[in-house]
Amino acid sequence: MLDSTRPYQRPTTFDRLLTPLHRWIWNDADRRVQKLLRFSETETDGGRDILRAAELTSDPLLRRLYLEHAIDEFRHGVLFRHRAAGLLKVFQSGSNHGFQGDWLAPGGHGLDDLEVDGESDSNMLAFLHLSERAAASRFTVYRDVMQHDPPTRAVFEEILHDETFHMNYTLTQLVRVEPERHKRHLWRARLSRLWKAYLRLATGLAAILGSLLLTIQYFVLLPPFAWLAKRAARRERSGWTVVSPQRTDSLDRQY
Amino acid sequence: MNILGISAHYHDSAAALVVDGMPVCAIQEERLSRHKGDAAFPLLAIETCLQHANIEPKELDAVVFYERPMLKFDRILTCALRAFPKSWKAFPKAMKNSLGEKVWMRGIISSHLGVPGRKVLFTEHHQSHAATAFLTAPTRRAAIMTADAVGEWATLSVGDGERLSNGPATIRRFREIKFPHSLGMLYSTFTAYLGFKVNEDEYKVMGLAAYGKPTLVEQVRKLICRTPDGAFALDLNYFEFHSTAERSYSPRFIELFGPPRNPYEPIDLDSAEGQRFADCASSVQRVLEDTMVELAQALHRETGLTDLCLGGGVALNGVANARLLAESGFERIYVPPAPGDAGCAIGAALYCDRIHFGNPDRDLPDHPFWGPSVDASELARLAREDGHSTVELQDGALIDRVVDDLAAGRIVGWMEGALEFGPRALGHRSILAAPHKIEMRDRINREIKYREPFRPFAPVVPIEAATRYFDIPPGGTRLARFMSGVFPVRPEWRSQLQAVTHVDGTARLQVLERTMEPRLHALLEAYGRRTGIPVLLNTSFNLAGEPIVNRAVEGYSTFLRCKINVLVAGGIRVVKRTSAVPKAQAEKVKKEVA
Repeated sequence: MLDSTRPYQRPTTFDRLLTPLHRWIWNDADRRVQKLLRFSETETDGGRDILRAAELTSDPLLRRLYLEHAIDEFRHGVLFRHRAAGLLKVFQSGSNHGFQGDWLAPGGHGLDDLEVDGESDSNMLAFLHLSERAAASRFTVYRDVMQHDPPTRAVFEEILHDETFHMNYTLTQLVRVEPERHKRHLWRARLSRLWKAYLRLATGLAAILGSLLLTIQYFVLLPPFAWLAKRAARRERSGWTVVSPQRTDSLDRQY
Repeated sequence: MNILGISAHYHDSAAALVVDGMPVCAIQEERLSRHKGDAAFPLLAIETCLQHANIEPKELDAVVFYERPMLKFDRILTCALRAFPKSWKAFPKAMKNSLGEKVWMRGIISSHLGVPGRKVLFTEHHQSHAATAFLTAPTRRAAIMTADAVGEWATLSVGDGERLSNGPATIRRFREIKFPHSLGMLYSTFTAYLGFKVNEDEYKVMGLAAYGKPTLVEQVRKLICRTPDGAFALDLNYFEFHSTAERSYSPRFIELFGPPRNPYEPIDLDSAEGQRFADCASSVQRVLEDTMVELAQALHRETGLTDLCLGGGVALNGVANARLLAESGFERIYVPPAPGDAGCAIGAALYCDRIHFGNPDRDLPDHPFWGPSVDASELARLAREDGHSTVELQDGALIDRVVDDLAAGRIVGWMEGALEFGPRALGHRSILAAPHKIEMRDRINREIKYREPFRPFAPVVPIEAATRYFDIPPGGTRLARFMSGVFPVRPEWRSQLQAVTHVDGTARLQVLERTMEPRLHALLEAYGRRTGIPVLLNTSFNLAGEPIVNRAVEGYSTFLRCKINVLVAGGIRVVKRTSAVPKAQAEKVKKEVA
């Protein structure tokens, strides 16, 4: 049974609809380990981005808040990593194979792709606010489907507590920095997130198609060349190869 | 003549600018983008170099890329074909990776910088390493050896070089060993097996080796055999790096050495399993050293020269370098401050200047400080805004205060002048501390660097006092100039240099000449007058997983996030109010704001 009425945030309808899928993804121990490790990386990367924002802003209050936020994200990274290590001990997993459902169950900054350098404080705050809100919504679902694994659930619980703070301070500060136009910034950030989500999806699909075509070419076109390459390799002597001066004479060549 | 050197797309991208034969700026992309080991095309680094010299891209006479992309692609494709059908998973990734960007370097450089394609030139990877090692070293004639994981095809090369003052310079490479037979890949395979990050954590294997015994040398020797012509070859049955992208060692490797280490579990050196991993590290370290020594001995016999210039990532192995100095027959060994791929940016530019364009050779300043300078006023502004105690002091007074701090057990973030080029902090972006107690090592590992307890810290010592505390052989001070050699701490001083003495009684020391860094030298002398020992612990100014700091603001944010007590940049000294962002204060801020 879901208990999303308890702390801190109700998940969005979309995330709630995906609950059965999330339950399936998180039910498998191997997938759980891989996802936690990936979340750990995502949180740490997010922490670095926010740290960069702290280093770039000229607003002293924002600098302190970003720094605090970054420290939280680094801590989340450690929490996820420790939990994954704990699970690894029990399940002796850790192989990275099989379907992981990555983009179906993204981590803290899932689809955000922060570009910190060159962003204004208001854009950054709007972006962070939406990103934290989305993360809180998803993490609420993850926490709720994790009833069979109380320690992992506790990790999400703890992180959710911080995400609530992050969500609130980013909005409060956005209103302070841009009292008149904060809504416009939020809308722009929403559109930008949507565009980036589309780009990710499109790039992901293109990558799948590209891999498929290259794999087909690999098995259809390459076998004769592979045979030739193997034959040449058998004839190749190991040991020293003399470097002819002519080979390195010209700097115009790329080969 | 303005020549820009670029290294990119494998790991640790960098750019270097040579103007009229002299390097004027060199910097790794990671120091600017703040992504450790950033391999992206180094646009920020290029921009920094050009701004530093105040020149426009159109004023560049040549842009040199540090390797030949098509030759590299040839290797990738050939290896995929040779491993058919095992390489089916790696093939699409490799093709997308190469054909997506990496092979089109001429066009990419041309479009990014707006320079015509004819100005874009290419050196070979090991040619760049050789140039970095030889053309930056204060020697006229030397043998050259370069070794890394892989360039285009070459993994190790030997040759020689000659420079005539204000005359021509030549670099000859006699022969090379080709991929997949690679000392770097052998070491990296053990890095992966021991649960560390390949291309990043090789130095952890070296640190771990001191805790083990080389009991598995015979097993490691099954992996690498000597060829009749004096080179070596790997037994590829034990490896998979040449055929798949997933794993570098094969099931046979696991049969030989046992199950690999889980990277998420700490190494417990008191357990049998932990000891096995340390023994593995020790054994591969021994085999690497033996192989390097034998190759260098042969090169010494062949050339009859007294100096050896060493380049490539393997030259970062300070333990092996010290053995080379002791046993190879060479009297002096020169390792540049950035012997890895980043350093190739400077090597490629110098090669182009001296050898391609035939410009007369010039002696180069013998220091690693080629990056942007720190702006102390930026630190003062930030610290005052946050209410930290901040004072501006003249040199003598500042040094006295810092000596007080260090002697009182405080940890000091030290930023001075231009950023170092290369992986070592050599006194311009350093964390300094008293080296006397083991507690200091543990404190820095635990509270600042957040890293494995078995990893040692390096000492820095003035050249005048170096041999008093460390057992440095003839030629050793040169190797220690850029922290490239590991030497024993004299037994009588080990109890007073606990924080910088590794478990095997050695230290990867930096021997400092006054002319290279006068301020740190003065600090060491003042610290010596106060405590009797002019030695300090010197570790890079960064936290785990982050690049070394560049600007004052990055030093400041690092200072706030860990337990460094004092931060110094130029004449500014900042003392932290309490510990890093205290919890109670943080909670208060959170409540107020949220």
